[in-house]
This record gives sequence, C-alpha cells and structure tokens, in this order.
Amino acid sequence: MIEILQWSTLATCGLIAAARVPSAIRGENRSLFYIFGLMTVAILLSIEAPYVAIDQALGGINLANLLLRFIIFAAIYFVGIRVTRGFGADSAYRLITGKAGMVVLLVISLALMVLFFMMDTVGSSAGLAAVSEKSERNFVLVEYYGAAGRAYPAYISLVLLPAMVRAVRSRLPLLVRVAAALLATGGVAIALTLLFPAVPPEWGAAEFVINYTAVLCFVLGLALIWAARVRSSRTSPAKRTYTEK
Amino acid sequence: MTLPAKAFQRWLQGIAPDASTADVCRISGIKRTTLAQQLVRGKVSVSTVVSISRAYNVNPLSALATFEAYQDLAGPQVPPTRCELVSQVSTPDILRAVLARPAMEPAGSGTASPPLSAAPHATSVKNWVDAIDDGEVRHRVSAATGVAPQNYSAQLTANRLSPELALATALAAGVGPAGGLVATGLITEEEAGWPPGARQAALDSLSDGDLTALAGDRLQALGKVLRRQEQDQAQTEKIWENLG
Repeated sequence: MIEILQWSTLATCGLIAAARVPSAIRGENRSLFYIFGLMTVAILLSIEAPYVAIDQALGGINLANLLLRFIIFAAIYFVGIRVTRGFGADSAYRLITGKAGMVVLLVISLALMVLFFMMDTVGSSAGLAAVSEKSERNFVLVEYYGAAGRAYPAYISLVLLPAMVRAVRSRLPLLVRVAAALLATGGVAIALTLLFPAVPPEWGAAEFVINYTAVLCFVLGLALIWAARVRSSRTSPAKRTYTEK
Repeated sequence: MTLPAKAFQRWLQGIAPDASTADVCRISGIKRTTLAQQLVRGKVSVSTVVSISRAYNVNPLSALATFEAYQDLAGPQVPPTRCELVSQVSTPDILRAVLARPAMEPAGSGTASPPLSAAPHATSVKNWVDAIDDGEVRHRVSAATGVAPQNYSAQLTANRLSPELALATALAAGVGPAGGLVATGLITEEEAGWPPGARQAALDSLSDGDLTALAGDRLQALGKVLRRQEQDQAQTEKIWENLG
C-alpha cells in the first residue's frame, strides 16, 4: 500500500515535470519546472531502493538524506515565492523572503547539518531507520534531525495557509479555487508532520499517508493552476456580460 | 420550487386533453427527455408550464395561477407601479433618454430615441427589487420563504430570482404579483398585462432631475461591477503569470 503510494506519487510528479519541459524551454515560468523537478528528485530519494543506490554512490554515509532535506527546502521555498506572488499575498511573501524567512531558513539549516554530523550515519538507510536503531543517542538525534527537516516546510506552508483560504473563498475561477484548496490541504498536512514525534509508533503508516498527501496536494494544486491557464487560453476569452459574477 | 407532477398532469389534461407527451414537447419546443425527467421526479419546472401554455395560446400567468403555489397570480391584474416600469428599462436606454432631454443637451435634441429594448435587461432583477424595496422587503421575503438573506442577495447579484422568490418579493412589497416574473424574464410584459408603451411613458414622466439621478445610480452600480470584474481579472492574470 505504502509502496503503491510512493511510486504513484513519483510517477505523477515525474509526469508533470516532464510535461512542463516544453514550456520551460520556451522560457515560461522556468521556476515551476524546477519545483516539479526538485519534487520528483525528493520523492525518488525518499523511496528505499533508489535512495540506497544514490547514497552508495555518495559514500554510503546517508549524505543523500541531507541532500534530500535541502532539495525539499529549495522546492518549498520556490513554491512559497511563486504562490505568494501569484496570489498577491505580499505579507506572506515578505515572511518567506524577508529577514524572518532567511533567519528561519538559516537556523533550521544549521541545526540540520549539526545534528547530521553528530550522528553515526554509516550505512545507507532510507529515512535513517537503521541509523536510528544503532544507539539511544542516535535515536534521539534522528528524531531531532527529522523535526528540523520538517520545520521549514511547515513554516512555509503555515505562511501560505491564510492566503490560500482567502483564495478559496474568492471569486477567482473555479479551477484556481480548487487548486488553492489543494494547496491549503497540503499545507495543513505538512504542518501536521510537526506532530510526528508525538505519534505512537504503531501509527507509522499514518505518517507516510500524511507525507505523501502533502506532496500530492502541492503537486496537483500547482498542476491544476497550470491546467486552468491552458484551459482559459484555449477557450477564447468569451464575452462576459457585466452581471456575470 | 417546482410544481407537483400530479397537478401538472391535471392541468395539461385541461388544456390539451388528447395530446400525448410527445405532441406537447413538439409543439412547445421542450426536449422530451427534459419533460420526462421532470415527470419522473415529480417536479415540473415553472418554465415548462410557461412554454406549454404559450404553445397552446393560454396566458402563462393564468396557467400558473391554477397551481396552488402560484394562486396569488389569479384575480384582477394589478397595474405595475412607475418605479417598477422604470426599473425594467435597460441602462443604455436610460442613458439615451438622458441625452435626449433638452436639459442635458440643448442643441442635440430633436432626434427621436429608438424604441426601448424589451424587458428583461442585464440588471433587471436587482433593479426591480431595489425599485420596490422599502428597506425591509428582503427581511420579509426571507422570513416568509425561509431563504437566507445572503442566498437571496446572491441571486440578485447574478440577475436571477427563482419564480417563487419573485412572487414572494412582489407580495412582500405589496405590488402586483407578476412584476418579478417579468423582471426575471419568465413572462413578457404583455403576458403580465402591462399596457404597451407603459415603460416608455413612465420614463417620459420622470423629471430631468429624477432621470439624471437614476442614470447616475445605474452608472455607479455598473462601475462597481465592472471594477470588481477588472480586479478579479487582474488577480487571475497575476496567478497565470506566476503559476501558469
């Protein structure tokens, strides 16, 4: 079940990234292509088999996991910028790119690296599961490391949330509002990941579901906006009467 | 609200005793599947009755009056008030009327303005309700029908009003019951018994000041709608630009 979810998320994301190649070549919103590309790589790195393969190439000390965290940070940072710009959420934009956003990013990144190098990380293992089992000390460090890795995406998604809720209730085109609802759902899911340390171990599957729900919601939400644009440019701008809402 | 299929069948028996459903559909131009579906569900729409009565040369108003929910339409026809008549003149027609007044353009008068375009117009529903609203009508309609005020307003903004709300509004405002049905375009002025030329006469009877003020109000409302649309459009473009 989890395997299916992982691979289908990877496929969805990869397909969308591939579909954006032509417009990226034309120079339309390249950053959107980068977002989808980064997300695809991130999902690839969170699946056991490809993770182990890539990490072995990087020396087998789970550097791929650290890389994965920063890829996620980059993707979510670009998502934050694009979405706040698009939806005209200026204060949210400042919270991401302004001093506050930079401080948050810096502190979390430093914490992430310090925690990583404090661990004994030999032996490739997706999600650092094997690393965590090595010792009591490693277990605690992995928990903190994971929390730091989720903190930045959670920060961005909480910043985006009010603007998304506003967009859902606005008079924008329906597809855009559905997309905003998806982005908001993804944001809530990412924020929920902050609670993972408090989740009992037997609910491990729920963590997977929430993680992939978040990724899928973001990817589909962004793809939907793109689809809405394609649709609106295809149907010739119909003459609107002035009573139409 | 729709009409019960049983009552509809009884009424149809009365006006077209021998006609099959297929005949009725062919003559009245209603899609057969549409009518069949309405009959199966037991809910026949008001516009179905209007179309059929027109096809059989029955006044739609008196046809509707035979149904219980619309029995207030029966009885002597109440002539429309001047406000109602003017509310059913479209904004372009009002602006033309302003320009034709010597007070506005002393030199350019003399050109006869073209006949008014038929009701309903682009904002006819909202203008009609505004014309008969004493400030409390919306509350009374809401209380009488149980429709939430925000849903009622949403219909007005979209220039729509369901037939039963149109009737309830007219009753709540104490004007002729058919006015709302004209404003929503369900029936014509003629079918509602409005005298021909009544709208033109009402328009002509407005003083220069009243007419100009009315035109101003209409333009202001139109400006608001257009500006809001432009804002929505600009926002959408911005989203396309950044995320499309």
